[in-house]
Amino acid sequence: MKNQFLISIGLSLVASLLFMCTPKESQTTEEVATEEASHPKGQASVVDNVSDKNILQVAASSEAHTTLVAGVEAAQIEHVLVNAGPLTVFAPTNEAFDALPEGTLVNLLKPENKSQLATIITRHAAPGSYDIASLNKEASKGRKLYMATGDYLEVVVTGDKITVAGAEIMATIPASNGVIHVVNKVILPN
Amino acid sequence: MKKLIKIHSYLMAGLVFFAFSCNQGGGSGSSNGALSSNIAEKVYVAPGERDEQYGFLSGGYSGNLTVYGLPSGRLFKEIPVFSQFPTSGYGYSEETKPMLNTSFGFIPWDDLHHPDISQTNGELDGRWIFANGNNTPRIARISLTTFETEEIIEVPNSAGNHSSSFITENTEYVVAGTRFAVPVPQRDMPIKEYKSNFKGALTFIAVEPEHGHMDIKFQLLMPGFNYDLSHPGRGKSHGWFFFSTYNTEEANTLLEVNASQNDKDFIAAVNWKKIEEYVNNGGGTKMPANYAHNVYDESTHTATSTMKKEVLTVNPSEIPGAIYFLPTPKSPHGCDVDPSGQYIIGAGKLSADITVHSFDKMLAAIEAENFDGDAYGIPIIKYEDVVAGTVQSGGLGPLHTEFDGRGNAYTTFFISSEVVKWKLETWEVVDRQPTFYSVGHLMIPGGNSRKPHGKYLVAMNKITKDRYLPTGPEMEHSAQIYDISGEKMQLLYDFPTHGEPHYAAGCNAELLVNNSKKIYRIDENMHPYAIKSPAEAKVERDGNEVHIYMSTIRSHFTPDNIEGIKVGDKVYFHITNHEQDFDVPHGFSMIGQGTSEILVMPGQTKTSLWEPKKVGVWPFYCTDFCSALHQEMQGYVRVSPANSTIPLSWSLDDE
Amino acid sequence: MKKASILMIIGSALLLGLFVFPLWNIRLGAPQYPEPLGIDIHINGLQGENEFDIQNIDGLNHYIGMKTLPKPADMWEFSVFPKVVLSMAVIGILIGILGFIGKISSIWFLIWFIVMGILGTLGIYDFNLWLVEYGTDLDPNAILKLVNPDGTPMKYNPPLIGHKKLLNFDAFSYPRLGGVLLGIGMLFSLIGYFLGRKSTANLN
Repeated sequence: MKNQFLISIGLSLVASLLFMCTPKESQTTEEVATEEASHPKGQASVVDNVSDKNILQVAASSEAHTTLVAGVEAAQIEHVLVNAGPLTVFAPTNEAFDALPEGTLVNLLKPENKSQLATIITRHAAPGSYDIASLNKEASKGRKLYMATGDYLEVVVTGDKITVAGAEIMATIPASNGVIHVVNKVILPN
Repeated sequence: MKKLIKIHSYLMAGLVFFAFSCNQGGGSGSSNGALSSNIAEKVYVAPGERDEQYGFLSGGYSGNLTVYGLPSGRLFKEIPVFSQFPTSGYGYSEETKPMLNTSFGFIPWDDLHHPDISQTNGELDGRWIFANGNNTPRIARISLTTFETEEIIEVPNSAGNHSSSFITENTEYVVAGTRFAVPVPQRDMPIKEYKSNFKGALTFIAVEPEHGHMDIKFQLLMPGFNYDLSHPGRGKSHGWFFFSTYNTEEANTLLEVNASQNDKDFIAAVNWKKIEEYVNNGGGTKMPANYAHNVYDESTHTATSTMKKEVLTVNPSEIPGAIYFLPTPKSPHGCDVDPSGQYIIGAGKLSADITVHSFDKMLAAIEAENFDGDAYGIPIIKYEDVVAGTVQSGGLGPLHTEFDGRGNAYTTFFISSEVVKWKLETWEVVDRQPTFYSVGHLMIPGGNSRKPHGKYLVAMNKITKDRYLPTGPEMEHSAQIYDISGEKMQLLYDFPTHGEPHYAAGCNAELLVNNSKKIYRIDENMHPYAIKSPAEAKVERDGNEVHIYMSTIRSHFTPDNIEGIKVGDKVYFHITNHEQDFDVPHGFSMIGQGTSEILVMPGQTKTSLWEPKKVGVWPFYCTDFCSALHQEMQGYVRVSPANSTIPLSWSLDDE
Repeated sequence: MKKASILMIIGSALLLGLFVFPLWNIRLGAPQYPEPLGIDIHINGLQGENEFDIQNIDGLNHYIGMKTLPKPADMWEFSVFPKVVLSMAVIGILIGILGFIGKISSIWFLIWFIVMGILGTLGIYDFNLWLVEYGTDLDPNAILKLVNPDGTPMKYNPPLIGHKKLLNFDAFSYPRLGGVLLGIGMLFSLIGYFLGRKSTANLN
């Protein structure tokens, strides 16, 4: 009888301790969850309406590149595109993304495929500032373009037409931290 | 009864367990619940308390070295090294002007990049800190007892002294590598003939163990690549030195493109012990040169500059087996060696990956002669026979790596603005934290030695933008301090730095605090114009030179009334501070003086030159708020016309 | 009586410690002097606790018009005190030895104690006179001339013993090892006297 009494006291003590602990535990998980969910603030968050537009700002203001910009945001690589660089970005148009096999884009935009998407987009960026003249020169010297992912892409000039890994340059827009070449094709890995 | 005891003990065990787990839960709960206040505690150093560590941040284009406390980020001192500094009169006072002498004459500025603290047995010993001047190649040695620059040696045959000033693990040498290849010796020749004609000099400057005096032991005249950064071998690789290179294409124009063509550049591995032995046995060629060696003597408080006329050069072909090239992808920038000396990390700045070479594999490949041809006779080791692993970082633009001594490496990524933590040997990335913005160097105190003090990491950023209240277009660079004692890095604090920090060095506070000097002893002052007491104050004329032997003590100058000075005189104020009390400096400035004020520490003598141009009675005053009657610490000099016959006289209180 | 005499000898010998250790100490601390300035008072002169303390105290004192701290030659005390202390120690040891070999009674221990006490009191009186004079005899042209709320000139004499606030300084005045040894030595002679008396009484 005495034992039972003691045990019950013990159990209630344990229960109350558990109870005391529980709210704190759950609070912890919640806080951590919110921390991770928030997108880290970075250079892309800098408010600046005075400087020349950087690559990200140029792309964001173009109606033809809404898919690319959505992809950049989903892959969380916008901070790279506002970096001092310089960078050369081959920016596929919305049509170029639409031309991808059915479902590819939807799949890539899923959070679990973030790093795959980041790699695909990063393959469109080259460290260095290559305007049309330098691309012509690279092609004439038979030099390939080294991309930010470590791949080398071939530049081919036929008449007025310049292609990079098969994607044709439709237009060129200078940006404060590099150059954007609008291309008609998404450059996928070989 | 026995049973009761048993149950009781279970209960107790249970209670203890829950109490413990509750404590844990509560602890971490509060740390997350009050996330920011808990972080604040980690960097908060209460008034009157002192920091745990020193951080010496290079000032880049300020030419100076700044001393910070860690973790508070408080600035303690700016040490003038390669730049004139009105705060103390460095480079303006007669005693310190010789410090900035070079073969190009007086050069009042340089670009200070890479501070490195002296070591003994691969551990920081806190005697000196070395730093390089990038622009007009120089290496400086700064005392860590006085926190003053004591010596500067110019480096001949070098240009853009960038892969410098790193020291070997017993401070045998401080090493200075050229960034720009140049004609050696310099001559008038077409730039286009760069290729195979220009040379890249790697200079090994011997450090005398007792006083730290520097002397060029030999210069290795390497192929005309650009030698970017370097680090010493340590532990097992002691005796070797590693230099990253770019522009192995040997381009002389538009390097942005033309020096980025080769898929791989090199890390040059130099067996300096072998070359040292070679030159000790009479090897090498003496070459005429002209370079300045400037030494500040603490007892005379005066620097002297000597021009040296010869340098010993070594051609790599003379000494086969001393130098090898390790192919490293994409223009490696950082070249860092882990605390064990086994791994050499090359960060190709255009690459996404970090390349790690193995010292053991390198030795084995050399033994087996697994070479992939040579460059100018220097064997190139086969990449796959030297590489230990690559870190697939997922970042962009890796630059520099430091170590925590617990098997982790930390690499900065300029383009992706982050610090990536990865494990040596498994090469797996374990954490990444953003920096704000575009980080260049990073520093873990002792992170470039056998024994890192891996508690804090300082990331030094190149871009500030909106981190602080705006100050117009020009802003100081930002730095962030991270707590790296846990599994994950934790951003603690953000502080502005001065100039542009390229690299830094740090150490535990206790290594330096007890050696830091408080005063200079007046009885040890051997300055030729020092006076031992105010009673010895005097003024002497020698032609048109006037020497004023002046004393300062709270709160007056002796003398404070001087007459008989004439227009066209060169007036030297030799100020001796007779205080022997900690932190009681006196300053001196004279109206219309074409130089800066000087700040004279207790027991020190400094000289300020004044060339009066106008007749009149001109005041001087103490520039440091030395005492309650600082404002009264002033005096007059009467300046008469050049042909005046007024005799020289001086007084204090009409005596 | 032997025990008592040994105590007497040791007690008198302890006085010789004054030739090595300071008698007294005055320490001045202020916010700008986190490491306080200190003067050790030896029987033959003053010494800074740290090398430059005397110089720095003088430097500060010139603002309020105090005289510089005395050098040994400036005060007769510094030449007389050593002689007095040495004499008293020698006499005490002699008395002890004579007591030990039974030539004299322990009443001499008490006499020595009383003489020493009188000399000590005179010494402290003299020390206090010096402190007061030093702290109040100020240069009329002093840079800082401060007055008390009642209009009288402010006095800067440190306390004879204990703590006193002097402007921004906290002055502390306490005996040091030499002074403590002197006290213990005198105590020994007194105990020697009582022990000696007791043993004589027992013998009787």
